[in-house]
Amino acid sequence: MTSPPEPTPSRHRLRGPFAELFRVQRRIALREQYSFTGIFLPLGLLIVFYILGVLNPGEVAGSGLTILELWTPTILVISYTAIGMLGLPVTFARDREIGWLRRVSTTPVPPWMLLAAQLVFNLIIAAVATALLIVFAVVIFGAPLTIGIDFVAVAVLAMAELFSLGLVVAAIAPSQQAANYIAGGMFFPLMFLSGLWIQPVQVGGVLQTIMYYSPTGAAVRALLYSVFNATPPYTALATMAVYTAFFFVVASRYFRWE
Amino acid sequence: MSAESDSAPSVASSATSEPEIVVRDLVKSYGSFVAVDHVSFSIRKGEIFGIIGPNGAGKTTTVECISGLRVPDSGVIRVAGLSPQKDRKQIREFVGVQLQESALPPRITAGEAVELFASFYPHPLDPRDLLETLGITRLRNSQFRKLSGGEKQRLSIALALVGNPRIAILDELTTGLDPEARRETWALIERIRERGVTVILVTHFMDEAERLCDHLALIDHGIVRALDTPEALVARAGGRRVRFVPSAPVGDSTLRAIPGVDGIERKDRYVTVTGTGDLATSVITALEKAGVRVSELEARSGSLDDAFVQLTRREARPPTGGGTE
Repeated sequence: MTSPPEPTPSRHRLRGPFAELFRVQRRIALREQYSFTGIFLPLGLLIVFYILGVLNPGEVAGSGLTILELWTPTILVISYTAIGMLGLPVTFARDREIGWLRRVSTTPVPPWMLLAAQLVFNLIIAAVATALLIVFAVVIFGAPLTIGIDFVAVAVLAMAELFSLGLVVAAIAPSQQAANYIAGGMFFPLMFLSGLWIQPVQVGGVLQTIMYYSPTGAAVRALLYSVFNATPPYTALATMAVYTAFFFVVASRYFRWE
Repeated sequence: MSAESDSAPSVASSATSEPEIVVRDLVKSYGSFVAVDHVSFSIRKGEIFGIIGPNGAGKTTTVECISGLRVPDSGVIRVAGLSPQKDRKQIREFVGVQLQESALPPRITAGEAVELFASFYPHPLDPRDLLETLGITRLRNSQFRKLSGGEKQRLSIALALVGNPRIAILDELTTGLDPEARRETWALIERIRERGVTVILVTHFMDEAERLCDHLALIDHGIVRALDTPEALVARAGGRRVRFVPSAPVGDSTLRAIPGVDGIERKDRYVTVTGTGDLATSVITALEKAGVRVSELEARSGSLDDAFVQLTRREARPPTGGGTE
């Protein structure tokens, strides 16, 4: 490759466009509060449920599990929901609304690279949140959870499911404001279905079934099995896989760069 | 990838006869609305080419087709011999674009934005040098949301130039700027021209076009109304204006009968006629004959503003639309 003629001191070519996009994305995100919501909201919840567990020892509703054990998977899924639904689509809808994506698309860099950088950044945030929650739950609060390859695989599937739901919001929301409303409106039902207020084992009946087949409920169920070294029910895994595929198809069907 | 980019015509070779940009019979509709209707022009290398016209005239659509952001319905566009649609990837490497109403993420700093864009191009300018040149080095660590209108505009120009383009497309460059910032921006564009960059300037400010542009295309309702140098355009439109207060009411028919008059506007007590020739003398003479005295007479030769108003009004609307200036 021949070196370009003049005015190019190429020290800025050391980093490629993707690395640079990622770096900038990371720096911008760390200046905004939203990226911490997905870490500190669940961490706060974990502490609250640890305290609840200390105040109410013993198993919950004949499940054989304590409050902390039962709620840790729920809180993990709430973390992924917050990151995938609040962080990702709102930022992306804003970048589209203000014309930033369009601006980038006038350069040799395709706009999908910007989205990819945001996805990677948010996946890393989700991984950090997972690590932090597990350290608190297992090491500090002493919950007897098994963190193995099964757990990692289910967690990754849960992230994929909730991130692709976030992409649906990014695709259909006409503006940042709308993305905020849509994601916010979905966030509370999703938290409920994840068992934050009441666990499926406590409700039984139709509501339990609805929870098990909801995007967050299925993920919680699969995670719960995996942290107790049991193979997750294939219905839970299949539910997650179907949602992921469905959300992904909807998102790519309605996706707009402008 | 880098091998392809080398095949973009070199800066030196095409300088002689071939125009840098050719647009022929460009047509673009949005549904039933024809935004651009058989627009043709060509732009020489190293010149500042202005595209002027009222809001919604099709200026932006035209440059968006040139930069490859939109696909024309029909017509031919050649940018340095390449097609913006077929060779979009290559063209984006040497065409810098400043978009109308395009913002940056609120918390990105000016330095980050320029370095980010530098990483997108194969042969970028040094971001620090560029910020220096544009006089915004002090903004390096300022977040976009904290910048003033003029600072945002200069940053936006920096982003259009950091890829070291041979062609820069600047859309509504100084809209929203205060007069001082406008003048600074103009000086900046003149410096860009000195570096041999071909500039397409989209504007609805006539003073801007008059000051900066070597050639102009006046577009209205998607049609090229005029294509010339700013001076020739002013001359062609006649561009003389005479404003006065008549001692008694004068009818349009009387005024129209005066040789050289082709436009009449009324505002309060003032009557303004536009047209060609020695307009002031003709008006005074003719009205004296009709028994009307003329006071507060003010004559001035045309500006591009007048040319613009005349050219767009004459073609587009019935001449009785008066008083809109």
